[in-house]
Amino acid sequence: MTQQSLSFPAKFHQQLEKVWGNLSGWGSLAAVNHTSIGARFMVTGMFFFLVGGLLAMLIRTQLALPQQEILNAEVYNQVFTMHGTVMMFLFAIPVLEGLAMYVVPKMLGARDLVFPRISALGYYCYLFGGLIILSSLVMGIAPAGGWFMYTPLSDATFSPDKGPDFWLIGITFVEISAISAGVELVVSILRTRAPGMTLDKMPIFCWYILAMALMIVFGFPPLILASILLELERAAGWVFFAVDGGGDPLLWQHLFWLFGHPEVYILFLPAAGIVSTLIPVFAGRPLVGYRWVVFAIIVMGFISFGLWVHHMFTVGIPQLAQAFFSIASMLVAIPTAIQIFAWIATLWTGKVTFSLPMLWITGFLIIFVCGGLTGVMLALVPFNWQIHDTHFVVAHMHYVLVGGMFFPLIAGLYYWLPHYSGRMPSHLLGRWAFWLTFVGFNVTFLLMHLTGLLGMPRRIYTYEAGLGWDWLNLLSSVGGFIMSIGIAMLIIDIALHFRFGRPAQHNPWGADTLEWATGTPPGSYNFASIPSVSSRHPLWDNPDLPATIAAGEHHLATIEHGRRETLGTDPINGKIRDITHVPSNSWIPLQTAIVIAMVCLCLLNKIYWGALAAAIVAFIMLFRWSWHNGAHPVAAPVRDDDPVNPPLHSRTFDGPGLWGMVVTLLSNGTLFLSLLFGWFYLWTVAPNWQIPDHKAFSISGLLISGVSLTLAAWVYLNTLKRLRQKNDQHLERRLWISTALGLFHIALLIFIFAAAELQPRAMAHDAILCVMMLYLLLHSGMVVIATLLQALRVRKGYVSRTLPYEPMVLQPLWLYCLSIYWISLAVFLLLPQMRGLS
Amino acid sequence: MTHPNHPLQLIWGLTLWAIWFVAVYGGLSVACAATDWQRESPLSLNNALLLLATVATVLLLLWLMKRCWRARHPAAGHRRFIAVVSAALYAASALATIAVAVPIMLLPPCV
Repeated sequence: MTQQSLSFPAKFHQQLEKVWGNLSGWGSLAAVNHTSIGARFMVTGMFFFLVGGLLAMLIRTQLALPQQEILNAEVYNQVFTMHGTVMMFLFAIPVLEGLAMYVVPKMLGARDLVFPRISALGYYCYLFGGLIILSSLVMGIAPAGGWFMYTPLSDATFSPDKGPDFWLIGITFVEISAISAGVELVVSILRTRAPGMTLDKMPIFCWYILAMALMIVFGFPPLILASILLELERAAGWVFFAVDGGGDPLLWQHLFWLFGHPEVYILFLPAAGIVSTLIPVFAGRPLVGYRWVVFAIIVMGFISFGLWVHHMFTVGIPQLAQAFFSIASMLVAIPTAIQIFAWIATLWTGKVTFSLPMLWITGFLIIFVCGGLTGVMLALVPFNWQIHDTHFVVAHMHYVLVGGMFFPLIAGLYYWLPHYSGRMPSHLLGRWAFWLTFVGFNVTFLLMHLTGLLGMPRRIYTYEAGLGWDWLNLLSSVGGFIMSIGIAMLIIDIALHFRFGRPAQHNPWGADTLEWATGTPPGSYNFASIPSVSSRHPLWDNPDLPATIAAGEHHLATIEHGRRETLGTDPINGKIRDITHVPSNSWIPLQTAIVIAMVCLCLLNKIYWGALAAAIVAFIMLFRWSWHNGAHPVAAPVRDDDPVNPPLHSRTFDGPGLWGMVVTLLSNGTLFLSLLFGWFYLWTVAPNWQIPDHKAFSISGLLISGVSLTLAAWVYLNTLKRLRQKNDQHLERRLWISTALGLFHIALLIFIFAAAELQPRAMAHDAILCVMMLYLLLHSGMVVIATLLQALRVRKGYVSRTLPYEPMVLQPLWLYCLSIYWISLAVFLLLPQMRGLS
Repeated sequence: MTHPNHPLQLIWGLTLWAIWFVAVYGGLSVACAATDWQRESPLSLNNALLLLATVATVLLLLWLMKRCWRARHPAAGHRRFIAVVSAALYAASALATIAVAVPIMLLPPCV
């Protein structure tokens, strides 16, 4: 802390606000700050929740009585499809990500997330993607095939309208947002914790969010690939899922549920994180079994990826395979139970205060346990066969998702509301909202179990009278409206509290975690100085921490340099490694998202040249974005007074960008593995799979191209080795050589692709080869252009032996390109030619 | 990365379980597609290979568990935390492998 800031703390805070604050007026659209972006995610998510809720009310109105014609079959199909789509993709995930974005940096003792501009891009991708999907509903051409979009119902033959296109393109757009948030959260949690915050001292909420973010990173790519393949099939006629050409509709189900089942846990984990955070606060004691809960989080994160086939028990798979997935489905109940026992033990041994958030937590415990029990029932194959596609499944799903996600979410909103607004909610309105929602929910969905057991199928728009379903449906609908009234009261309470709420005292719930050491509402910089941490409960140990933080008595209490800075720490021991400078306000994320939205709109309207042009512009903008990084004058220009101990991250070999690249490539690698899975699946299972007699590509040409790529990568990696030895002699020339070799590789690859006589519209085999080739070209193109830019940056003085960071970030990308090239050559081309396999 | 107190120990066990799961499920599907074993009993070559993979995986997981458990004592703080939680995770991975593998002894592979 400088003498000047000690003497003038108010001035110091003003300086911090000037550096970290958003621009005013329309300039707030250029905001990247995690508090603003997190709040925007949540507000937008709640808007979509209201849309999804209105659609649910339409469903319940239609089903309240038999043989109603309020909605016809086509409109009803659109309504239930959009209800599921909006709730799952546009409400549940984004709102939880928004909450995580808002809370996590503050809990970690950081001033921002590490890639705030990516957060902003993610938000705009989500907003525009959501609006694109919603526009289809307004125009009456919404998708109508269910939120899982099964083929062949969703292919061009059975759904010739644009509804599935809106779903596929819009959802892919939204998923860019989800993955970007996932990468952001993983790297931030691993690299920007407060000094001393080792893994065993990390707030339990951050463990949950780390697991959720990693699950997003690995769980979403299968659906992104499936969406791309289905859109290619619909728009260009390439064969992937059509049986005639050697495809298989079940491939869609596998890829969808490879995403879809982990998705349930992606929603549950952050919600459970809220529960594990709130229960100790309201019980007034630490969480019982912290280590067991961490254990349970990790087990759940993994096992939940091994359950996807339990959504497909009725499609016809061998008994042994069904048994694998049945047992895995039951196994996942064990880590869930560990957490529930930990929560009950914490409550049992504590002195519980039943404030509003705790009320919602209690509702969660009751509803979620019921949903979990029916989940174990559904894991049993014979029972699953009996009630498959009935309202029993609808009831189970809502018990798990509303109980396991919505109730904890509202508990969390009430808990952190005073943090955001500085005011307390109304206990009277809040309690009414809870009880109406709780009673309404159970009346709606508890009865639905019975309706399902009595044989009422899902997704029917009406039913005959006298089947025994009439009174159950009527009561379900009444319950649905009671629940709606409860949610309306909740919204009224939250809206009114901003104006009429009682001002909150500091840390009103007596919490233990660092987010309550910021101001309430928080400043844009969170912490005027960043404290060291020595336990899991910093505020219980040292209640004066907020005051000493505000007084600038801890780390990084300087701002004269004008940079946005937070501490970069070691992911294992929590020691300070560098000063991470994070980007400030920028229009680039918004501009890029607008251009990507144009790509989507052009694709929807089949203006393919426009889509191509917009995609090229988007890539140019992304590379321009990368140009304004590192030592560039607008980011962190080289200065004589640059800190050296710890150094700025751009002066090291191991900053957050490298970690971000690795995590992104893990996600990308999952997409590639999904493509390999599709290839092997069709090869072994599709009834009409064929491998053509002729060779698809010139193998010798591909070998030469591969050697060129290998040489390019070798030159690049060798250059990095020299850079690590502080040798930057001929650095620019070496990067140019690598670029030239890479360009030769790409040119040869394009020539080979153009010369091949592939028939992607006739054969799934050739269609997958085309996708593989485009994937390789895209990646080789990216790495070569990025290397070219590095050469230019060396010339500009932004990269050198004292500024070695950026070339290090590209290293994993080079290795990735090399790997996928040779794996593709071996698996897609050489393996089928081996004797006996074709 | 291989030290018993390294944080990556927290994920190796279940990663091995996941690889085993994919190999067994994928191997089963490929074997059923490539052979004509639909009528065979559980006592088939197919099941024997699946069991062999299971036993090897479980033994490896148990050895890794023992290694982490032994590393907990000299360590303190976060190093001890990682060793203990990792040992439990290896044990859970071994149990998950055994549990999922039980049907291999009871059911024919391709029916």
